[in-house]
Amino acid sequence: MSVYKWLDERLDLSRLNKKFMRKAFPVHHSFFLGEITLFAFIALVLTGLFLTFNYEPSTRIIKYQGTELPAAYASVLYIDSLPFGKVIRSVHHWSAHIMIAAAFLHLLRILVTGAYKKPREINWYIGLGLLGLAVVTAFTGYSLPYDAYAVTATQIGYGIGASIPYVGQWVSQVMFGGEFPTLRSLPRLYSIHVVWLPLTLLALIGLHMLIMIKQKHTQPRYAEKIAPGKILGVPMMPMQASVMGLLFLLYLGVLFILGGVFIAHPIEAYGPPGASTPAVKPDWYFLWIYGILQMIPNSWVIPLPWGQEINPEFIGGVLIPGILGLAAVLLPLLDARKTKMRYLELPSHHPLRTSVTVGILFFFFVGTLAGWKQELGLSNAVLWTMLILIPLASAAVTYMLMRSIYGKGDQTETAG
Amino acid sequence: MSKKNVTSRRAVIQASLGAGLGLAGLSSLFIAGGLRPKKEITPESEPIKEGDTFVIAQGPDKGKPVTLDTLPLGGPFVLAWPMDPKTKVVKSGERNNLSMIIRFNPDEYDAETKKNSDQGVIVYSAICTHLGCTVSDWLADQKIFLCPCHKGLYDPRQGAKVVGGPPPRPLPMLVTKVSGGKVVAGSGFLSPVGPVGALARNKAQV
Repeated sequence: MSVYKWLDERLDLSRLNKKFMRKAFPVHHSFFLGEITLFAFIALVLTGLFLTFNYEPSTRIIKYQGTELPAAYASVLYIDSLPFGKVIRSVHHWSAHIMIAAAFLHLLRILVTGAYKKPREINWYIGLGLLGLAVVTAFTGYSLPYDAYAVTATQIGYGIGASIPYVGQWVSQVMFGGEFPTLRSLPRLYSIHVVWLPLTLLALIGLHMLIMIKQKHTQPRYAEKIAPGKILGVPMMPMQASVMGLLFLLYLGVLFILGGVFIAHPIEAYGPPGASTPAVKPDWYFLWIYGILQMIPNSWVIPLPWGQEINPEFIGGVLIPGILGLAAVLLPLLDARKTKMRYLELPSHHPLRTSVTVGILFFFFVGTLAGWKQELGLSNAVLWTMLILIPLASAAVTYMLMRSIYGKGDQTETAG
Repeated sequence: MSKKNVTSRRAVIQASLGAGLGLAGLSSLFIAGGLRPKKEITPESEPIKEGDTFVIAQGPDKGKPVTLDTLPLGGPFVLAWPMDPKTKVVKSGERNNLSMIIRFNPDEYDAETKKNSDQGVIVYSAICTHLGCTVSDWLADQKIFLCPCHKGLYDPRQGAKVVGGPPPRPLPMLVTKVSGGKVVAGSGFLSPVGPVGALARNKAQV
């Protein structure tokens, strides 16, 4: 390999090789969740770059093939008419779903195995930030096709942002370019969606991985049995890299089949924005907020000084998700350990943490169910009872089952 | 001169760095002020005012004037944009102008709605006071407006009072006139339109 040799003599590649390319990757299927998140991000960037070639962030009405349409909507129709245009737009859309789903499952894996503890608190926080920013990025993408669904969904986001006491109007008007929809709205949201957030995500992903390489992966429990005290795993080059390469190609293959068979967000079906509201629900990761917003009666108002108030929109759209976020931020501080963690904790050894996680998942499920409040004919009283009792009951049942099956948990683990 | 009175290089550098960063921060606030766009008013985005007529906002009759004949007694309602009668400009450039017009037998109305209506016709804002969706659905059996976003319910016969769901305030109405069969605005909306939070709620109570 004379090219390698030539580069090596100039860039000292073998030193880099020794330092990074031999990094050991533990072998466990749950360790691929973070990688799938990364693959989805790469696919989003690549398909997104393609979309920027022809997308026009403008709400101005133009004539497109004889019909008066907003320029953004017409440009998405044009993208759809290109060879594979619709499929690439679908892959972009589905990849956003997969990125959020994989990131959430990755977070769950970290949560139930206690990997947020010392020394990995920093990466827990970066990860939380990444998940939050990924959701915001997905949301800013909602508005861009500028169809009836896009406008309605973005309108609701504007209203939720504006409901924050004191600063809400400012936050929403800066994010949405004035009182949405204005002529400034799409350029603003487009800039945020394709420049600011992706660059921030990219920087944070880089940091997330550098810290992971520096601190080394947590080791699965089997590593302790086979070779206690040693780092066990396959090296990045060539083994992990080939698996990753294969998995990425597999990801692209599956996504292109999925995107080709299920065209995402067919804008002709929603039509350009009109006077009436289309009958739509938000994407699955917002359904629990959507459900809870429908459950909060308009009497839940707490006045604040200077004519401000905490209102139902703020409680459902900001406060409740914010409390869950705050709990995640406080977790490494509340459940701390003194020594550095080397091996993953087994969920079965930590019945309290595992059962609280199960309870939180049921909270999401019931909130999501409330998204069908009208269709299911459920009253607020029934839904609130379910939203409070089902998570508590499921956590309690899980805790009791785990205690009876696994006993008190592993006492030795916390010591070392 | 004793050594204590000599300012160290480090202190000078720290002070100048601090001052420089502080000034840079302050001046960037000036730029950040431009992030919140100014409200731009064009003829199409002027608010509804007295004398405006209405045109149908959607469907096959889009753009036709709203008259008594287009309003079935007892609902459903018609979504409409205001139009300046002199310039014939349809004011659809401001979403908060979107109105819903409905006609009932005036005896079915409560006192305030009856006072502001004319020949049973009343104009309401179509922008939900919860999170700003268009209140575009009609429950024909109960004669109730439904906002499909978060299932807010308003009763058109009681000043669009909230009768279910999360909206904080009734839909604003305007003084409605019927002249020559055409529906005409007798005023702007009597309370703030859309989800403007606490300020609007306080103003609405005044």
